[in-house]
Amino acid sequence: MSTRAYAVTRAGRRAAVPASLVVLFLLPLILMPLAAVFLFAFRGGPLAFWNGLKTPEAQFALRFSLLVAFATAAVNTVLGTFTAYVLSRYRFRGQRILGIVVNLPVAIPTVVVGTSLLLLWGPIGLLGRALPSGLQPMFAPAGVLLAHLFVTFPYMLGAVKPVMDEMEETYEEAAYTIGATTWQTFRYVILPTLKGGLFAGALLTFAHSLGEFGATVMVSGNLRLKTQTAPLYIFAQFEAGNIEAANAVAAVLALLSFFIFFVLLRYTGREGD
Amino acid sequence: MRRGGRVLPRGLIPVVFFGALLLYSAWPWLPFGRPPATPTIVFYGFSILGDAMNKGVFPEFRKQWAAQGHGDVAFRSAFAGSGTITNQIVLGAPAELALLSLESDADRLADAGVIPAGSWKRLPEGGVVNRTPFVIFVRPGNPLRIADFADLTRDGVRIVHPDPLTSGGANWAIVAEYGAGFREAGGDAAAGEALLAGVWRNVASQAASARAARTQFENGFGDALITYEQEAVYDKSRSRLKADVVLPRRTILSEHTLVVIDRNVPKRDRALVDGFVRFLWSEPAQRIFVQYGFRSVRDDLNAGHPALGAIEDPFRIADFGGWRRAKKEIVEDVWKRRVMKIPAKP
Repeated sequence: MSTRAYAVTRAGRRAAVPASLVVLFLLPLILMPLAAVFLFAFRGGPLAFWNGLKTPEAQFALRFSLLVAFATAAVNTVLGTFTAYVLSRYRFRGQRILGIVVNLPVAIPTVVVGTSLLLLWGPIGLLGRALPSGLQPMFAPAGVLLAHLFVTFPYMLGAVKPVMDEMEETYEEAAYTIGATTWQTFRYVILPTLKGGLFAGALLTFAHSLGEFGATVMVSGNLRLKTQTAPLYIFAQFEAGNIEAANAVAAVLALLSFFIFFVLLRYTGREGD
Repeated sequence: MRRGGRVLPRGLIPVVFFGALLLYSAWPWLPFGRPPATPTIVFYGFSILGDAMNKGVFPEFRKQWAAQGHGDVAFRSAFAGSGTITNQIVLGAPAELALLSLESDADRLADAGVIPAGSWKRLPEGGVVNRTPFVIFVRPGNPLRIADFADLTRDGVRIVHPDPLTSGGANWAIVAEYGAGFREAGGDAAAGEALLAGVWRNVASQAASARAARTQFENGFGDALITYEQEAVYDKSRSRLKADVVLPRRTILSEHTLVVIDRNVPKRDRALVDGFVRFLWSEPAQRIFVQYGFRSVRDDLNAGHPALGAIEDPFRIADFGGWRRAKKEIVEDVWKRRVMKIPAKP
């Protein structure tokens, strides 16, 4: 396909040297660290790997992370698509500013996200102060979800809005002229064309949520079996010197992300560039 | 694109995969996968307590509580640097009980209005659950021949030290280093400061908790680590110790304080939490602490343990006027202002 065509056209310009240079610097930067996770995870044999994974804490952390990732992907798919639709189809005052604000989470350090959520929703926070203690979101699963929604918000938007911007508006106009409502037009004209973008955006959101650390560590309270996500579990176990336990879960997260990335490339036609 | 000739249509693979993933992750919360709800104690502890509580104290209490006819009990626990968990509790973490590595963290909770001031002093032993002295870990065979805190001030010794901002153990270590010099010279503040400054000139790495500092040391950083004796005793008992332990001639016995955060204890769990608090000072629990390398608050339980080494001149925080004074005079004034030269807040 396109990569192969690329390779053929550039075959004349000896690729061996620059390509091996790239591989050479990728070795210590990316490839060897990844290999180390798996080497360490399986060093004690598959049984030790399995023992590291089957503890209630590890199981909980993985499940909790996955559930939060599913929820984050679901919520941000709806919110992100709606935001993209509004930004792409309507013209209004403050549109540019809104466009910047919704993309801001990409640039904000995740630790700052965590801090700001605590300062808003925490028990001493601006809004959290008013909430009864049973409804406090911080140090509870809801807080983790809030943090992940914040951090991953732009991914859905980034996947869907360009598709929407490029969409021919004649189809929509045609739909309107035959009497379709805004919702029907969205549902039967826009949504089907968005399928690829929605899928890619949801996958990216899911993957980022699965690995989120900086904001989560601030808002989750790190409670084992209650609010400890898989990345927090890895960090806590590593700090406590239980490198095997940390590595088993790290290897699973790495495998999951490989698979998600593979699906992303394979099914949405995206190239890795 | 290839089509046909496949067992599954290509769109089905991600659907099946993510469906299976969702089922796996939601399983314990599904109606048929959920175990019945049990009363729960939320326990926060400082870093080195993890194994002693998770593997020793919690299971034993569960057994006893059930044997007394109260039914099952579950524990939710978090272990991190004492300062870290204190901050989390101030910010609203749902801890019902917290075992802090130093009393000044309890003071901070009281200052923040989380618990009544001094409420822990009404518990047995003034709230102190167990103790452990501060010791020096060195590389196997002690290649640098370190015998006491004074040897750590030599040029070229690289020390791994926990960070006093987040680690209770680091605060104990600072008082240990200062106090050793102070008492060696017969009560001379300048000698205390000189020893403290000498040690800190060689600190090569600061970790967030005592446990994390230990992990750094084990991963090969530094020549010496200043930490709780408990870590050494416990690891020796499992023959997992990859370091030699140097018992300083003079060092501090850290005392670990329990606080009950009443506002986080629901009424229905009151008896359970109180029962667990009483249990912590009972003989079975104290024996478990000794088994995991702590020193019991009951001297008779320590006597029988060969791994708890003898210290020539052990001292306590009370010898420096308690944590409120020591925090201000030793950690803030001497260590922060004079040794680290961090200016006071305006």
